[in-house]
Amino acid sequence: MPNEDGSVVHLEGIHKWFGENHVLRGIDLSLDPGEVQVVIGPSGSGKSTLLRCVNLLELPSQGRVWFDGKDITDIRTDLNEVRTHIGIVFQAFNLFPHKTALRNITLPLEKVLHVSPEDAKARAMEQLTRVKLAEKADAYPGQLSGGQQQRVAIARALAMKPRLMLFDEVTSALDPELVGEVLQVMKDLAADGMTMMVVTHEMGFAREVGSRMLFMDGGVIVEDGDPRAVFSNPESERLKQFFSQIL
Amino acid sequence: MAEVSETTAEAPDTRGTSSRFADGVFAVGFVSLAVLLIGTLAIQAAFALGPRTVTERCIARGIIPFVPETATSPQSGNAGSPGMCHILEGILSPAQTAVLLFAIVAGLLAVIAGLATYRRMETRRRRNRVVVGAVFGIQASVLGAFLLWFIRATPEKSITQFLNVEALKVDHTFLLRGLVITLFMALAAESLGIVLGVLLSLLTISKRTAVRAPARVYINIFRGTPLLVQLSIGYFGVNNGLQLHQSVFVVAIVVMGLNAGAYTAEVFRAGIQSIEQGQMEAARSLGFSYLQAMRYSIVPQALRRVIPPLLNEFVILIKDTSLVVILGLPLQRLELFGAGQQGYSDTYNATYFVAIAIGYLIITLPMIGIVNAVERRLRSGLVSVTGAA
Repeated sequence: MPNEDGSVVHLEGIHKWFGENHVLRGIDLSLDPGEVQVVIGPSGSGKSTLLRCVNLLELPSQGRVWFDGKDITDIRTDLNEVRTHIGIVFQAFNLFPHKTALRNITLPLEKVLHVSPEDAKARAMEQLTRVKLAEKADAYPGQLSGGQQQRVAIARALAMKPRLMLFDEVTSALDPELVGEVLQVMKDLAADGMTMMVVTHEMGFAREVGSRMLFMDGGVIVEDGDPRAVFSNPESERLKQFFSQIL
Repeated sequence: MAEVSETTAEAPDTRGTSSRFADGVFAVGFVSLAVLLIGTLAIQAAFALGPRTVTERCIARGIIPFVPETATSPQSGNAGSPGMCHILEGILSPAQTAVLLFAIVAGLLAVIAGLATYRRMETRRRRNRVVVGAVFGIQASVLGAFLLWFIRATPEKSITQFLNVEALKVDHTFLLRGLVITLFMALAAESLGIVLGVLLSLLTISKRTAVRAPARVYINIFRGTPLLVQLSIGYFGVNNGLQLHQSVFVVAIVVMGLNAGAYTAEVFRAGIQSIEQGQMEAARSLGFSYLQAMRYSIVPQALRRVIPPLLNEFVILIKDTSLVVILGLPLQRLELFGAGQQGYSDTYNATYFVAIAIGYLIITLPMIGIVNAVERRLRSGLVSVTGAA
């Protein structure tokens, strides 16, 4: 069930302080179904914090997050239930190192969604096949390459059948030759119509796959528009400067 | 280096060749130590296999044949004197002195040769041999000098006090039972300590001060006072004061368990806090509750990491059971130290303390071995703890 304005998630006046540090300075944002929103910006600009505010891994100091037509910043919200609908993939993979790839995926299905072990296994294998790692089902994370671990992490999130996927610099910790396989999985996912919010430094991916691009700096959204337009015609001095530094 | 070397089947030996001199220093050092150890054991074995009599020299030194008490005369002499006499004869034999003198002289030679030349050795292998030779030399000469001092003093006194196996026969049933009781007390206290420690550690990582504070107070009091004091308060104070009517045995296990709980809690806390924050975030983002995340992700990983420190705590606990002696366990419940003390007071022979020292080692050495093996396994990465490949 979308929000009243038809969005999957809607952020309203989000501020975040870490102690004295004012990291997010008033963010208003909506994600529409099927939208692939790409967030770029220099480090320390608040991109990851913004992403983590969507599933409330970080609690906003001020402002509201609407999901499913409800304000999930309301203290009475069952966040555990909400989070089953919002998948997130981290830079550091964060697979459970003491569980196999398959068990990493079936564990939350069984313990959180109460899926039967047989169904959980079927769902997990379906997702592992999707990320082309079916033959690695019984491998432990330590036996997989970084790219493979990250694909398992994506499969783990997808197996929960989320309505929204968050990606937090998922290729930043990977060796360059492993980045492609992870981006390919994300491209396929976008093509399947998944609603995605992607914090990334991969400008090629951002331009090619993104349906909307946000440029953040100093805790605010500086530019917001079609990726190709933003790339070819940056309006602000800060974005021009940012591009000149990274491209 | 820019130079491209030819591909060889084997990796090049960068340690270089040895030399006759370097091998010589190594040999002298090695032989000095080997002669000392093997020679001494061989001499003892030869005398042990010889006739079991009490020689004149032994009698002169006070190792006198044992004569049981009769109606006309009191008991006299040393129980087990033939056994002790051959040890003494071996120690006092010229062969033993020769072995020691040889070991000291050869050892010192290796040390001098090694120290004088190791910096000038041309290859790594040579330096290595020379240094190891000198180290063996130091060990041989120090050990040899100590044994020589021991021989020149009054070895008969040490032998009767430390190596009189005969004296152990008086109370040997206490010793075996003591070993079992010590192990039982330690296991019971540790079990209580682990349950308590897990609960306390979960309280200490709470973000709420009101939850943390009582756990911290408990831990700091038990870690900050001697177990001896806790045992005394537990038995003479709490048990008697509250009219609990529990035996020393039960009180001791409970107090040691409460004490172990405080230490175990700190071990678990450190283990839990050593797990990356990302593990909790990943679990919570999949919809796990805090307790589920703890149960399925954090605690299982932390448990692997705390096995070595936990076993260390257990080794300490095993040794601490000896403190119960101040409360006075009943005779049939004596733990190992109590058993040794009982034996000592019956015979005035310190061999009992040597025996219980060996008894503690029988339990603790395998534990220490396990700790080291587990640590090696953790370090070698067989139990992968990081996500990165």
